[in-house]
Amino acid sequence: MGDRKLLEPDVQFIQTLGERGADTLKKCYQCATCSVVCPISPDNKPFPRKEMIAASWGLSDKLVTNVDVWLCHQCGDCSAKCPRGARPGDVLGSVRSYAIQKYARPQWLARAVNDPKKLPILFAFPAVLFVVLGLITGLMDFTPELRHGHISHGMFFSSWLVDMIFVPSMTFALVVFAMGLKNFITDMHEAAVAEGKVARTDLNWLDLIKAAPKVILTILRHDKFSECGENKERATTHMMVLFGFIGLFIVTGVFFVVLYGSMAWFGSYELAWHSPYSQLNPVKWLANVAGIALLVGALVMLKNRLFKDEKVAKSSYQDWALIGLVLGLAVTGLGAEVSRLIGAATVTYVVYFVHLMFVFCLFVYLPFSKLAHLVYRTVAMLYAEYAGREEALKKAA
Amino acid sequence: MSKKYGFYICSGCGIGEALDVKKLAEDILEEEGHGNIKFHNAFCSPEGVALIQKDVADGVNAVCVAACSRRVLTDVFNFPGAQVDRVNLREQVVWSHPKAEEGAEINPLQLMAQDYLRMSMVKLEKIKVPEPFKLEILSRKILVIGGGVTGMTAALDAADTGYEVTIVEKADKLGGWAASVRKQLPLVYPYRETVSPIVDDKIRQVRSHPKITVKTGTMVARIAGQPGEFTVTLKKPGDKIEFDVPYPLPPEMKVDENGKELDNDGLAVKYKEYNEGRADILTLDPAGEMFGAVILAAGWRPYQPAEGEFKHLGLGESPDVVTNAEFEKMAAAGPVIRPSDGKPAKRVVFVQSPGAGDDSDFPYASSVTSLVALKQAKYVREDYGDGKAYIIYQHMRTPGLTENFYEAVQQDPGIFLTKGDVAAVKKEGDSLLVEADNTLLGAAVKIKADLVVLAMGMVPVTQDDPVVNLAYRQGPGFRDIGLFDNYVDSNFICFPYETQRTGVYAAGAIRRSMTMEESMEDATGAALKAIQCLESVNRGVAVHPRSGDMTFPDFFFQRCTQCKRCTEECPFGALDDDAKGTPKPNPTRCRRCGTCMGACPERIINFADYSVDSVGSMVKSIGVPTEDDYDDPPLRILVLVCENDAYPAIDMAGLNRLQYSADVRFVPVRCLGSVNVIWIKDALSIGIDGAMLLGCKHGDDYQCHFVKGSELASVRMQKIGEALSSLALEPERVTQQEIAIDEYWKLPTVINEFVEMVEALGPNPFKGF
Repeated sequence: MGDRKLLEPDVQFIQTLGERGADTLKKCYQCATCSVVCPISPDNKPFPRKEMIAASWGLSDKLVTNVDVWLCHQCGDCSAKCPRGARPGDVLGSVRSYAIQKYARPQWLARAVNDPKKLPILFAFPAVLFVVLGLITGLMDFTPELRHGHISHGMFFSSWLVDMIFVPSMTFALVVFAMGLKNFITDMHEAAVAEGKVARTDLNWLDLIKAAPKVILTILRHDKFSECGENKERATTHMMVLFGFIGLFIVTGVFFVVLYGSMAWFGSYELAWHSPYSQLNPVKWLANVAGIALLVGALVMLKNRLFKDEKVAKSSYQDWALIGLVLGLAVTGLGAEVSRLIGAATVTYVVYFVHLMFVFCLFVYLPFSKLAHLVYRTVAMLYAEYAGREEALKKAA
Repeated sequence: MSKKYGFYICSGCGIGEALDVKKLAEDILEEEGHGNIKFHNAFCSPEGVALIQKDVADGVNAVCVAACSRRVLTDVFNFPGAQVDRVNLREQVVWSHPKAEEGAEINPLQLMAQDYLRMSMVKLEKIKVPEPFKLEILSRKILVIGGGVTGMTAALDAADTGYEVTIVEKADKLGGWAASVRKQLPLVYPYRETVSPIVDDKIRQVRSHPKITVKTGTMVARIAGQPGEFTVTLKKPGDKIEFDVPYPLPPEMKVDENGKELDNDGLAVKYKEYNEGRADILTLDPAGEMFGAVILAAGWRPYQPAEGEFKHLGLGESPDVVTNAEFEKMAAAGPVIRPSDGKPAKRVVFVQSPGAGDDSDFPYASSVTSLVALKQAKYVREDYGDGKAYIIYQHMRTPGLTENFYEAVQQDPGIFLTKGDVAAVKKEGDSLLVEADNTLLGAAVKIKADLVVLAMGMVPVTQDDPVVNLAYRQGPGFRDIGLFDNYVDSNFICFPYETQRTGVYAAGAIRRSMTMEESMEDATGAALKAIQCLESVNRGVAVHPRSGDMTFPDFFFQRCTQCKRCTEECPFGALDDDAKGTPKPNPTRCRRCGTCMGACPERIINFADYSVDSVGSMVKSIGVPTEDDYDDPPLRILVLVCENDAYPAIDMAGLNRLQYSADVRFVPVRCLGSVNVIWIKDALSIGIDGAMLLGCKHGDDYQCHFVKGSELASVRMQKIGEALSSLALEPERVTQQEIAIDEYWKLPTVINEFVEMVEALGPNPFKGF
């Protein structure tokens, strides 16, 4: 046996996972109760028992490249049933968090996003950026006038300025994701092939993308959540937040097109169809519904996390940060709208400014934060679908 | 003292409905001229008891209570001053057989009750009132062999209770193994942290205790005599003295050059030659010290691998492969280093099983070796912040609350555990590479190591040496402990601490591998047992398992033929013999099982209330119906029942209303080993159609209260088969069946199958003669 695998435990890895909600991982004594209760555990592969011992041995390579870790939706059945209180669900969650950080570039930013001590700096950065850019460009007006008799945020913080910041921010996020995903997919594929757990051993990017419709439908329908026993109610809140984001993304896209489209049509910035748009506008209805969904979803999530039994699930900084972000976006977004409608000019400008800061955080810190699961999990599910994870399992059984 | 009888026939619990109790008394008791017969529908009621008590006060000294089993209400039917016999009409008769049909020719229940009542009547006539055996001089001192934590704890506990104790320790100082460790396993709840050795504190307590004498650099040369009056000779290790214990002749020396067995005189000569320079066991050392009981706490030694053993694990090949015992010494001396170059040993692999495709652990490994590996893994982490300790096990045993310790150690981020099969330990550069298969982490893995530690087990010192050096005819050590890998046998199912030698109580790692915590608890148990022994011997009663039994075997020496069977067969070595072969009883060594009584071909060994005659008479009192009585006379089967296992099983069968043939008659015996074949012969000669011995399991997993009783009985029954053939009786008419105490459900099958078999053979041809 020449190809024995050398085991080199990484204690730092164990400690990092510990800081991310998996402080109990060393409690596992390999009874495999988790594998029995796990709705996605295959019959012939003890998932997540194997992952648990790999974690307690600090074998980071074995875990961060493991597609199965991403197929877990943290339903919590394993943690609830674990006789040792090892919380396998949280261990897998911490591994995902570790993987997000590992694949993100630049690393210093990834570290900062995952470090609670750096939170004030990360939040102060957009504030300073906005003000400096606003002063330099003159697109920020501290004594804004009304537009057609209405308060308009664009008079305070020009749409130009907004897009000048957010278009590059989004591009930055996309580039970071693209770089990370390339490595992620390659590593995941190599590991899966090495372990013989997939039917396809080649990597065809086009075919990978072809798997998208089915996977996206699964995600939108929250099918995986409904397989859960313990955390079933999570499906609703997750759905509210996800659809809230999607709705707001559509609204933003539509108004982006409307603004610049009308500007091109009329050939004038002044004549273009500017916000605020009428509350009778159907797109505005979508915006309000999505905003409220986001707010309610995030509030229920917060409540659930606050009152969750720590023996079943423990929330890490990454969990709180994400809920904070979503809640911040929703509260400031709706707050800015409401205060605008009641005519509280100063309040609405301030709230709007904070809202923009949250949006900046959403875009720029996205590839480094827990929210990156949106991309990584989707890709992992895509890969599993493409490579025939299910078929391979059936064949092995 | 003349006997005055009283018979008390109960009609409660269904007895009265199934039996005609009045007629029973008329047919059996009045027929024999007994007049003091009383009836009650609940003799266990205060009223019923008062009836008997009044009779006893009026001089009745032989009481027969015909009611329920002798195993129940023992406190109620206890009448000081009278011998009480119980006739089991309830469990054995009415509860386990259907009521007879009205007007039938035969009433099987009534016949059965008659037989049992007659047996009791005969027994009460035959038995004598026992008188306790008392030693002239009784020593209440306790000898503790071994000065480790076990011995010291036993000594302290016994001494605190007021007994004089002497600790004998072979080494020059107290403490034993416990004095050589760096840390010891947790002793108190929550059992999560190792603790500093507590041995110094124990030594201090022992040294300052006014009732404890410590003799270091001393060992036992011999222990002669019997509990209550052991004469102990002590010596320095290595010395050769007159009172070193003699050894029995090995089998090959018991025959002459032609292979013929030597006679007693010849054996005596050979024995003298073989034990040249050592006094015979019956010669007492005039300078010997007297002790009443012995606690054996001599402990263990690490397993010593043979030359080349575990070579595949690098043992003997690399200095960096060490045993757990060696590692403990290294760790006690300071931070652990590699013996090869003195560099820090930061990566240590603890191998718990020799592997190479085999699932078994190292010899003598146990839960203790698992726990020690966990403890030693902690040393690596204590010594080096970046240290890593790996444990590869086939079995991780952390019983009871030691599980907490396992959990605590497991929490350490630098300790890694996996089940696995270690294939090899190889050298790689200046360090080692441990290769393992079938781990929880994958099929084939390897780990880099500075040091590899092998988990050697704890070998009881009785593996090498008898230690107690008893001046007993059967030999200086414990017999047949090979069955227990030479751990000192204590029929542990029922009787922890007890060895096969009464008055010698084993504790700690000599009994089985134990942690120090367990050993100390064990020591307390053994100390209590030793005290129990002294406090039984002083009253002339048995210690165990027949606690409080006042009888002891009585030998009618005029008829002894010096066949030595009793001496050799006694499971407890209670009998010594002189040069002629005449047995010398040591009553306080005796456990009253009656194996000698069963063994004696001359039938000269008897107990006051249990004799060849008393049981034989009971057997002969069974009514055997013949063709003169009935057209189709029922069979009669004698079942000699072990009262420790089979008798309770029969009671439970009755309690569960299980039914079996009404042709059997049960006669309880102390142990199947006490069954004298004459009883079987008596039974068959009066026309009883078959005989069964019903007792416990024998063999390697024996359950016998007296270790060897049922095994000896089976040997004797084989021999009786030959004798039956010569009488033209089928050997199948006599059988021995095993039934454990919890196997009552088997009873009907065991009984009925035998009855059917005998039925098929036909009635005993001697019937009616």
